[in-house]
Amino acid sequence: MSGAIPEQAKAEASSPLGLYVHVPFCASTCDFCAFYQKEPTADDVARFLRGIADEAALVAWPRPVTTVFWGGGTPGLLAPRHLAELAALVRAHCGGAPEEWTVELAPGSVTRERLAVLREAGVTRVSLGVQSFQPALLDALGRQHTREQVFAAHALVRAAGFPSVNLDLMFALPGQTAGEWASDVREAVALAPDHLSTYCLTFEEDTKLWLKLSQGRVKLDVEREAELYEATWAQLAAAGYAQYEVSNFARPGHACRHNLNTWRMHEWIGLGPSAASQHAGWRGGNVADLDKWIAGLARGERLTEDRVRLTPALLAEDALIFGLRMNAGVDLAPWRARTPEVPWPMVEDAIATLAAGGLLGREGDTVRLTDRGRIVADSVATELMAAFEPILETT
Amino acid sequence: MSAKYTRNFCIIAHVDHGKTTLSDRLLEHTNTVEQRVMTDQHLDAMDLEKERGITIKSHPVTMSYRAKDGHVYKLNLMDTPGHVDFSYEVSRSLAACEGAVLLIDAAQGVEAQTVANAHLAFGQKLKVIPVINKIDLPSANLELCMRQLEDILTIPAEEAILASGKSGIGIIDILEAVVSRVPSPRWTEYPQTRILVFDSLYDSYRGCIAYVRVFSGAIKARDMMLLMSNGEKSEVKEVGIFMPKMVKTDILRAGDVGYIVSTIKNTADVKTGDTITIANKPATEMLPGYKEVRPLVFCGLYPLESDDYEKLKAALGRLRLNDAAFVYSSESSLALGFGFRCGFLGLLHMEIIQERIRREHDVEIISTYPSVIYHMVRHGGELLEIDNPVNMPDPGELIEIREPTIRASIITPNDSMGDILALIMEKRGVCEHTDTLDMNRVMLRAVLPLNEILVDFNDRLKSVTHGYGSMDYELGDYQTSDLVKMDILINGDPVDAFSSIVHRDKAEGKGRQLCEKLAEIIPPQMFKVAIQAAIGGKVIARDNVREMRKDVTAKCYGGDISRKRKLLDKQKEGKKKMKLIGKVSIPPDAFIKVLQNN
Ligand SMILES: Nc1nc2c(ncn2[C@@H]2O[C@H](COP(=O)(O)OP(=O)(O)O)[C@@H](O)[C@H]2O)c(=O)[nH]1
Ligand SMILES: C[S@@+](CC[C@H](N)C(=O)[O-])C[C@H]1O[C@@H](n2cnc3c(N)ncnc32)[C@H](O)[C@@H]1O
Ligand code: SF4
Repeated sequence: MSGAIPEQAKAEASSPLGLYVHVPFCASTCDFCAFYQKEPTADDVARFLRGIADEAALVAWPRPVTTVFWGGGTPGLLAPRHLAELAALVRAHCGGAPEEWTVELAPGSVTRERLAVLREAGVTRVSLGVQSFQPALLDALGRQHTREQVFAAHALVRAAGFPSVNLDLMFALPGQTAGEWASDVREAVALAPDHLSTYCLTFEEDTKLWLKLSQGRVKLDVEREAELYEATWAQLAAAGYAQYEVSNFARPGHACRHNLNTWRMHEWIGLGPSAASQHAGWRGGNVADLDKWIAGLARGERLTEDRVRLTPALLAEDALIFGLRMNAGVDLAPWRARTPEVPWPMVEDAIATLAAGGLLGREGDTVRLTDRGRIVADSVATELMAAFEPILETT
Repeated sequence: MSAKYTRNFCIIAHVDHGKTTLSDRLLEHTNTVEQRVMTDQHLDAMDLEKERGITIKSHPVTMSYRAKDGHVYKLNLMDTPGHVDFSYEVSRSLAACEGAVLLIDAAQGVEAQTVANAHLAFGQKLKVIPVINKIDLPSANLELCMRQLEDILTIPAEEAILASGKSGIGIIDILEAVVSRVPSPRWTEYPQTRILVFDSLYDSYRGCIAYVRVFSGAIKARDMMLLMSNGEKSEVKEVGIFMPKMVKTDILRAGDVGYIVSTIKNTADVKTGDTITIANKPATEMLPGYKEVRPLVFCGLYPLESDDYEKLKAALGRLRLNDAAFVYSSESSLALGFGFRCGFLGLLHMEIIQERIRREHDVEIISTYPSVIYHMVRHGGELLEIDNPVNMPDPGELIEIREPTIRASIITPNDSMGDILALIMEKRGVCEHTDTLDMNRVMLRAVLPLNEILVDFNDRLKSVTHGYGSMDYELGDYQTSDLVKMDILINGDPVDAFSSIVHRDKAEGKGRQLCEKLAEIIPPQMFKVAIQAAIGGKVIARDNVREMRKDVTAKCYGGDISRKRKLLDKQKEGKKKMKLIGKVSIPPDAFIKVLQNN
């Protein structure tokens, strides 16, 4: 290594650090969901909380955490005192209060007490899993809440005074019409959230919907998905929500910083079963099983799966392919400086080809997807990955 | 036994008229061992032969029969290939005989192959014994068959033997007719040894095994033999006869049918139709009818995975060992990489070889458009033989292009006449003659360009005649035609594998069809991709590949990154398997699809 070390070390020291906590409990499993979660037994919650403490103790925390994200599962399923306990554990690693602290809540689990505990602890952002306002669709997805509960939960969240509120919506659902989706978006906008996530339904393996798809009871319609994407982008832009990522829209200043940092290939530490981490030179996911995760911790081990060693070249590649999903695009300059081993001329070639095809735009060192490019972002990514190939084969 | 008591004959018939069944009956009756005892190599080929209902390799057999005149006769039954692709091979097998049993299915009557085979037999001056077979069938129409014999084949009806291979009727009559009507072996008085090669087989232990008919003289182990076509000498290791398994004998004499193993390894050196003589007392004239077989149909064969190049090369080498009519040489294509230019006797031959490469040698291949050999005449008179469109010179350099034709005999039900005539027209053919066969059927004689019947003619014929039509053909002359090279361009880049030589009047239609097909087969692409058909730079048809509509993962958070990377990696690997043409990744099966069903 060269004289660049001190500078790089300095850069890392000041770069953000995320903390993701996976709370693996849900009251039941939604038909589309492949996230690791289970129905908690009587002592699961206590074992989980102890596990988080144990795992946190095994981590070599490099610097204070800047953003926190509690996802799941349904963190909102924990009792207020358990939420408080988890919050205390988290705060211990934040060097005071994090800049941003998101908690995912399913509408059915939102109560005044829980919100109070979270607000008190320093949570800044609440993400509500609305999915749809159509009773029939909520039912069809196996959701545990009603349309009315969504409004009630939203009102409580607003009343609790969280600085930022997000609503999750899903589209291209089986049986959903374009009109129904437009109305969902309209109803969401009417609630004036700070942030909106609109996800095109993905058929995930081992879900009820996947089974239906493989049995031919529901169909995949790429053309319809594309149309809904385009309609969503137009509708939200008109409503004053700026798109900042393929599926994410926010009012100024409300983009989710935790996620932005992830896409920029900064570091984050994941705690809890199935939580992913990217720090200390590796990326990987904790074992997606509460008991195995606890058993590992009992031996003083964080059981991880799909562990890869992070090289600057891999990070540069991922920063490009995942970063391009953001509307702001990717600034190549810092990566070029950090990774002389990357065949940049080949990458530039690929970029030029994609730009000529109307998929990418370029301003100085910043490349971004055009709208047309965004809707085929995965194909764009594979094109770019091919340019990185020579170097990755040797590392 | 002297040649006086030898009879050499074959059975000729249209597919399914009962040749196999009848042969088995003859073997049974003469107490010859059950026929289906074959070497492993035979068995490989057998699957395909059975599936296609055709014989590719000869299966001769020697039978012993005590005739009613009290004498024991040696009857050599030749099994002949039954497809027009192998008409030269058929003619050589027939040349090894003095007589032919011509089978006619009593319920079907005379068919195109019956006519073609009968003419081949007459051409070899064979005594033809007409047999109306399957007379046990309720639908048998003897009267009609008799009339067709006379009218179409000019064979006196009273010569016909009524038989049923299935019920064993007429078997003795046939054997007796072979003895009494087929002359004893001809040309036995020639002063030197002359032996006709009518087939050969490659054996990994013994090298090339020549299937032969001795016309005069004799041959035995340790003789020095001489191949008259090329003057090559080699020592005879073993001679024998087919029982039908190969059985070693001391000597083969005039009139005998058998095999010769020599020091020659390569079957390509022992050409069908060649004459073998004895080196120290050689004949001066070859037996008549020898021709260098020349492939008529060519295509490029490429390994689907470029890593399989060596494997493909080895497969072609092995196939060639057993099939001197199949030729290949290396070539390369911009689109497909390194591969081979291969020449075949005809389409069936091409299909069989391709199938064997896939089945027996386990190599996945892509083939380019089949082509015939065009004769192109340059200013100044130089004649070029072009079998690959890529090698066609600039039209400005040429004064004339000629293409091979065939003379086809097509038999069709009356009510399909109009459709058949339209088909012949569409294929640029000219119908020269029609004959009424019976109340329901007509026989047409037509001249068609060979390249027009290369791909789907037979299928089309079958479909317009609801399966009742049949065709046979022989090679005709070359004719001058207004032919052009049509290129296919993907995003402006010509794809050599898709180039073809077509008639100018048909170029536009073919071009449009090809563009449409490609547009349909190539998976949606990120960019706009234009497909064009062009003649000499002038675009005559165009289409666009569908644009990819959506390919984006909805959710990509921290936990999704590893998973997502794996997915993208897989996509990327998939892409590597594709052929990149004009910045478009084309899955290899697209080539197969385009090239196959057009
Ligand atoms: N009814 C009847 N069927 C026969 C007779 N000979 C053959 N077949 C049937 O006709 C079909 C074709 O016979 P095969 O000997 O394989 O014909 P090849 O193609 O000429 O060798 C088979 O289904 C046989 O069972 C026969 O004498 N009578
Ligand atoms: C980690 S989930 C959990 C949120 C919370 N448990 C809830 O259900 O309200 C976060 C969001 O991802 C989205 N999501 C989950 N599975 C999805 C799928 N298969 N396709 C598209 N979006 C999905 C849903 O919008 C969901 O609200
Ligand atoms: S969507 Fe949310 S509530 Fe439904 S199963 Fe997944 S994590 Fe649990």
